[in-house]
Amino acid sequence: MAEQLLDQARDIFEGQIDFEGQKLAELLLNVALTLVGAVACFVGYFLQDIKLAVYLALGGTAAVFVLVVPPWPFFNRNPVKWLPVGGTTPPANLVVDDKMFK
Amino acid sequence: MYSSIVRLQNTFGFFTTVAFAVACIIAASDLFSARTPSVGVLKTTNVQVVRGRPHYYSSKKEEYAIIRFSLDADLSSLFTWNTKQVFVYVTAEWPSAGGSGSGQNATNQAVIWDSIITSPSADHLANLGPVAMRKLRRSAAGKSIDPSRGRLSINNQRPKYQITHPSSKVANQEDVVLRLHYNVQPWVGILTWNPDEDFLKWKTLKGNLSRKFALPGLKKKDEGKTGTRS
Amino acid sequence: MLSSLQNPRQAAAQLMNFGLILSTAFMMWKGLSVISDSPSPIVVVLSGSMEPAFQRGDLLLLWNRNFFSETNVGEIVVYNVKGKDIPIVHRVVRKFGAGPQAKLLTKGDNNAADDTELYARGQDYLNRKDIVGSVVGYMPFVGYVTIMLSEHPWLKTVMLGLMGLVVVLQRE
Repeated sequence: MAEQLLDQARDIFEGQIDFEGQKLAELLLNVALTLVGAVACFVGYFLQDIKLAVYLALGGTAAVFVLVVPPWPFFNRNPVKWLPVGGTTPPANLVVDDKMFK
Repeated sequence: MYSSIVRLQNTFGFFTTVAFAVACIIAASDLFSARTPSVGVLKTTNVQVVRGRPHYYSSKKEEYAIIRFSLDADLSSLFTWNTKQVFVYVTAEWPSAGGSGSGQNATNQAVIWDSIITSPSADHLANLGPVAMRKLRRSAAGKSIDPSRGRLSINNQRPKYQITHPSSKVANQEDVVLRLHYNVQPWVGILTWNPDEDFLKWKTLKGNLSRKFALPGLKKKDEGKTGTRS
Repeated sequence: MLSSLQNPRQAAAQLMNFGLILSTAFMMWKGLSVISDSPSPIVVVLSGSMEPAFQRGDLLLLWNRNFFSETNVGEIVVYNVKGKDIPIVHRVVRKFGAGPQAKLLTKGDNNAADDTELYARGQDYLNRKDIVGSVVGYMPFVGYVTIMLSEHPWLKTVMLGLMGLVVVLQRE
């Protein structure tokens, strides 16, 4: 029972996303955060307002955290298609970890 | 990037990189804003020398110079988005007596008056009472920078500090000058003082020296007292 | 977690990596120390005596070489006093004479009186050798973590607890 609960907690905590989602998350993170920094700099400089620049940068960063960290559904649109369990026998000369599967 | 914790770490890591880059850009932006401060007037209005003690329990008697002065200066170009405060100070400077092994150009320098001019972005940090604080904040309501605070016009100002010398003697000292300095404190980046030579878009502070004057002889005790109080 | 213990090569690599991070940080600190000629080239502001210029937790970059001019009036210096272990960051307000024997007096912008009271017994002025460096660079707030951790020790427990929680909740 306790194991089950811990497993559920781990599932929520882990927040796995698929491979395409990981690529997307990385791209989103880099582009969005760079953009936030650039916008904060430009707005701050042209309005000569450093407080506004800091608020923009912090607010933007918080938004990027919310966008990237949770396992949103759009990070899980390309789930990995596993082979069915015990369906077919593995190919004859499959090499895994330097060991021949027989 | 497969789990939330890794994404959290990566996001935070990149955030620190971006924050550092933004800080560098803000610091570098100082170089692109022209600094053209000017001094209209810097002159003494009344100079006295009195005898006194360094503190209440001291039995040592020292001579103190009380230098009143007038100042008219425009430092408004020092106020940009990265200016936290400008520290303005006036020093009195005089040559050392008889080069006692301390070099030819050895001078004595002492601050007689200083003032902290905060930017509106740093007003909340100023060390002021509630009434003065409200007044200060109202004066810059809706403004992110307020260069008009850099325009100084001070008449017959009493010095904040009465100055003396380690030898306790300052009376009849000749060749004393007043000099105006400033120190720009940024929100991030390097601290800057008035440059000795033009540097890129930063011009020197011309006319920041007063004419040479001599400190008078010692005032009689009763006269000295009224002098310090006025 | 435990898999690394089963593979000594991986464990050794991790140890090397950790050592590399530590020695790089140490090297940069000492390198900066050599360049600036200051025993501690970066200091965290611990008191409010220079407000509003410096708040607690701000990071200061120090420079201890006199390439173009001597340490002058108006500079903000970090100095040590005999018998006190905490260095003080204050502004030089008076300077009498020149060279290493020059007498310097300091004062905090936010203090009403000068620092004579803070100096050692019988000491009226500082000399150049008492000064650890002049403040040249400024970065706000970054050092506040160290102040928080040293003044609120329970935060260390909280951090350890959070790390433990992460380990428990993470799958191999």
